[in-house]
Amino acid sequence: MRRLLVVLVLAPLLAVLALLGGGGGADAQAPLIAARVPGRGPIDDPLGPHWRRAVPVRVAMLPQTVALPHHPQPAVKALTVRAVHNGGWIAFLIEWKDPTLSDRIVLDNFGDQVAVQLPIDTRGAPPSPMMGNPGGRVNIMQWRAAFQRDLDQGPPSVTDLYPNAWADVYPDEVLSATDARPYAGALGVENPISRGRLSPVLDQMAEGWGSMTVKPDQHALGRGVWRDGVWRVVITRPMISDDANAPRLAPGDRTVVAFAVWEGGHREVGPRKAWSPWIPLRIAP
Amino acid sequence: MAKVYNWQLGREMDYPYEAVRPERQFAMVLDTNKCIACQTCTVACKTTWTPGRGQEYMFWNNVETKPYGYYPLGWDVRILEKLGVQEMDGPVYRGKTLFDAAPSGEVILGYLPDDLDYAHPNIGEDDSTGLMPQGAHLTLPHMQWMFYLPRICNHCTYPACLAACPRQSIYKRREDGIVLLDQSRCRGYRECVKGCPYKKVYFNAQTRVSEKCIGCYPAVEGGRQTQCTITCIGKIRLQGFLHPPDRPDPDNPIDYLVFVKRIALPLYPQFGLEPNTYYIPPVHVPPAYLTQMFGWGVEQAIATYRRAHEDRKLLGALTLFGATPEICHYFRVDGDWVYGYDSKQAEIVRVPLREPTVVREAYDARYQTFRTNVT
Repeated sequence: MRRLLVVLVLAPLLAVLALLGGGGGADAQAPLIAARVPGRGPIDDPLGPHWRRAVPVRVAMLPQTVALPHHPQPAVKALTVRAVHNGGWIAFLIEWKDPTLSDRIVLDNFGDQVAVQLPIDTRGAPPSPMMGNPGGRVNIMQWRAAFQRDLDQGPPSVTDLYPNAWADVYPDEVLSATDARPYAGALGVENPISRGRLSPVLDQMAEGWGSMTVKPDQHALGRGVWRDGVWRVVITRPMISDDANAPRLAPGDRTVVAFAVWEGGHREVGPRKAWSPWIPLRIAP
Repeated sequence: MAKVYNWQLGREMDYPYEAVRPERQFAMVLDTNKCIACQTCTVACKTTWTPGRGQEYMFWNNVETKPYGYYPLGWDVRILEKLGVQEMDGPVYRGKTLFDAAPSGEVILGYLPDDLDYAHPNIGEDDSTGLMPQGAHLTLPHMQWMFYLPRICNHCTYPACLAACPRQSIYKRREDGIVLLDQSRCRGYRECVKGCPYKKVYFNAQTRVSEKCIGCYPAVEGGRQTQCTITCIGKIRLQGFLHPPDRPDPDNPIDYLVFVKRIALPLYPQFGLEPNTYYIPPVHVPPAYLTQMFGWGVEQAIATYRRAHEDRKLLGALTLFGATPEICHYFRVDGDWVYGYDSKQAEIVRVPLREPTVVREAYDARYQTFRTNVT
C-alpha cells in the first residue's frame, strides 16, 4: 500500500519534471503547468478538488516603478498560483495573504484586485510583460473584489455605502429612464467598471501603458473567496474563442503568463500595483 | 517633461505634455467684492448637473468663506503646507510649482482627501478672522475680515488632473480649452482627485469613476454663459473667452480685465497650472493673505478697481457682469452706455454705465398715502 502511495505521488511529479524539460537553475522561475482535469465548461470554483492536481508555483511580485506614478513598496510580495485546464477552459487559482478585505469602493477606499495576463499571439516572441507594447497585444483578465461583492450581495446602494445619506429626489425617480440617463454619469454610458456586471472578471486587452481596453466580447469568468486573511481567486477563460483579440490555447502549448495584484487596503489602484514578469506556462497535453 | 510657458508665472516650467494653448480659452472673471454667498450658483449647478445618485455631496460649483471655509476640508492650506514656503514677489515666480515639487515617481505633488472632508460643504461659513474689540471701527484693509470665494473648475491651461491620469481619460478641448473627463474611459484610479490642487475633480462612489465641472459646454457651444454665471443674482460673474497672452484683444471684456487692466487675478498661480478663473480681489482683506492666494498683482488690482468709476471703459466691462445670458466676445463704451457683442459682432446687450435714479415723492397725492423709498 505504501509503495502504491509513493507511485501515486511520484507519477505526477515525474510528469511535471518531464514538462520542465530539465532546464532552469535553482533561481529560475518555475514554470506554471496547467494540469489536465476532467469535466467541461468554466472552472470557477476556488475551493474545488481539481486544484489538488495542479502544482503550486510561487510567483515573486515586483514593484511597479516604470510608468508614472511609481509604487515602490507594494503590499503583496508573492502570489501562489496554480493552473488547470479541461481542454475547453483554462483556469488560474491565485492565492495571496491579505489581512484586509477591501471590497467597498468610496473615495478613500480602494478594492482588492488581481489580474492574469496572456499574450494574444501565443506563438511568436512575447510582447512586453508590462501590459504589452504597440503591435504586441496582451489579454488581461482582471478580477475585482468589488465586482465579487456586487455579485454575491448585490451592488451597494448609496445608503449601503453611506447609511445616513438622504436626498430629496433623484432624477430616476421622476423622469423616464431615457431622460434620467444623462444624470447617471458613467452608468449612463455603460462604463464597464461601474456596476451591473455578470462576471467579477474584466476581459481586457492592452498594447502598452494606458491602453487597457475592455473588450466588447466578455469571455472571462471567475470567483474569489476571502477567508482567514487569504484571497483565493479563480480566473478562467475559454481556450479557444471567436475573439480575434484573445489567445488561442491548446493542450500541449507552451507560452507565457504574467500577474498583477493590488491590495486595496494599501491604496493600490491602477499603476500603483505589484507585477510579475512573464513566467513560462505549459499546458499539459 | 516638456518645457511650457506659464504667463502667470512669467516663466517656462515643466509639464508632462507639450503646450497646446487653445485659440480661445474658456475663462471666467469673478468679482469677490460683490459675492454674498447666497449659493444660487451652487444650486443652479447642482440641479443642472449633479442631482444623481452618488453625487449627493458633489458640488462642481461651491462658495466658501475665506479664510476658514473649505470644500473639501482644508483643500488649499493642506497643499500650501506640502508645497512649503516659496518666494513670490514677481514679475517672475522663482519658487517651485507643484510639478517642480513632485516627489520621485510621482507626476505632481498632491494628496487624496478623506471621504469625510467633503461632508461639510459650508464649514466655516461667515466665520471672521476674529472678534471686533469694543469701540473698534473698520479701516481698509479690515483688521478682522472674511470674504466669499466662489469656485468652479479652473479649466487650467496646464491641468494637473489631465497630467496625473495614467490612461489619458481627461482631455482639454482645442476649440475652447474646456477640460473634460471621459466617463467611458475613466477607471476610477483617483489620480486626478489626488493631483488637482483645487480639488475640483470628485469621485462618485455610485459609478466608481471621477467626475468634474464640464464648463456647461452645451451652453457655451451655443454662445451662452454657464449656469453659475447667468443665475448669479449679485451679477458677480462674467464668463467668456481669453485669448493667448501674447495676443490679447482689448475689445474682449475678459482679455481687457485680465491682460489689459490686470484687475482679475488667477487663484493660487504658484501651483503652476495656469488656472482660468480670475478673481477681482476683495478690497478689505490684508494684501499678504491675498498675495498668497492671487499672486503679486493684488495691490495694483485693488487700486485699479477702486478707481474704476474714473475709467469709463473699465466701468463698462464691469457693467457687463450679469447683463446678459449670452457670451460677450466684444464690448464698446459709447457715451453713457456699454454695448456687448457676440462672436459675429452683433449687438446682444446695452447697459447704462450709471443706472438712472428715480426719487419718488414721499406723499402720493393720488392715493393720499405716504410712500417709502427703500433704495
